[in-house]
Amino acid sequence: MFKKKIYIENAVRKLRFNSDEMTQQQLAELVGVSRQTVVAIEKYKYTPSLDLAFKIALAFDREIQEVFFINK
Amino acid sequence: MVYFTFKRIKLGLMNIKIRNTLGEITGASIAMIWMAYNLTEASKMTIESVSKVLAQGIGISIILIIALTIALNILSSIITGQYEEDIDDERDKIFELYALQVSSAIFGISLVITLVLLGWFNLTIISALIAITFSGFIASIVSLFLKVYLYR
Repeated sequence: MFKKKIYIENAVRKLRFNSDEMTQQQLAELVGVSRQTVVAIEKYKYTPSLDLAFKIALAFDREIQEVFFINK
Repeated sequence: MVYFTFKRIKLGLMNIKIRNTLGEITGASIAMIWMAYNLTEASKMTIESVSKVLAQGIGISIILIIALTIALNILSSIITGQYEEDIDDERDKIFELYALQVSSAIFGISLVITLVLLGWFNLTIISALIAITFSGFIASIVSLFLKVYLYR
């Protein structure tokens, strides 16, 4: 069952807009990455490390599973 | 004029990583061309003069890469009017690792081929020296192109 490939999606874009329309640059500066990395995460082209995922969740003051989830 | 303006905007909007990598590719390519031009008569040259050209080529590539990176960043800052910080995050480290793997593989394969040719086909030491240096440059350029592809 766990050998099947999983697709991790996220609600970063939605949460960004809900947080006073935070820009990608602002989020990048908050979590200490480049704007390109935030763009790649939002487009599901890059899955962040656990460390960065927690930092993003903390930046939005949410639980990690509210930001990153598996598309079943 | 329209094309020139488009090019200007493109350079301004390009991300800092691509800009720096393009600077590195250009610097390495120019140094390689310079070395190839100076080594056309390599078969008649002594090993000392060949080594001198190769060492100068490596030096030129380093200086060119630094100068081009600075020039491109200044040009981009003039066009966009803002300073872009070069942040290395985890995604950049993954790309660096991919590029390092590719360049190591290419350099390793070409080194083995050079050594085989040296033993089996009586390749001269001068040719082997040139082949090893050029394979290093080619490996570096290929890995830089891979980085541009990943950063695009």
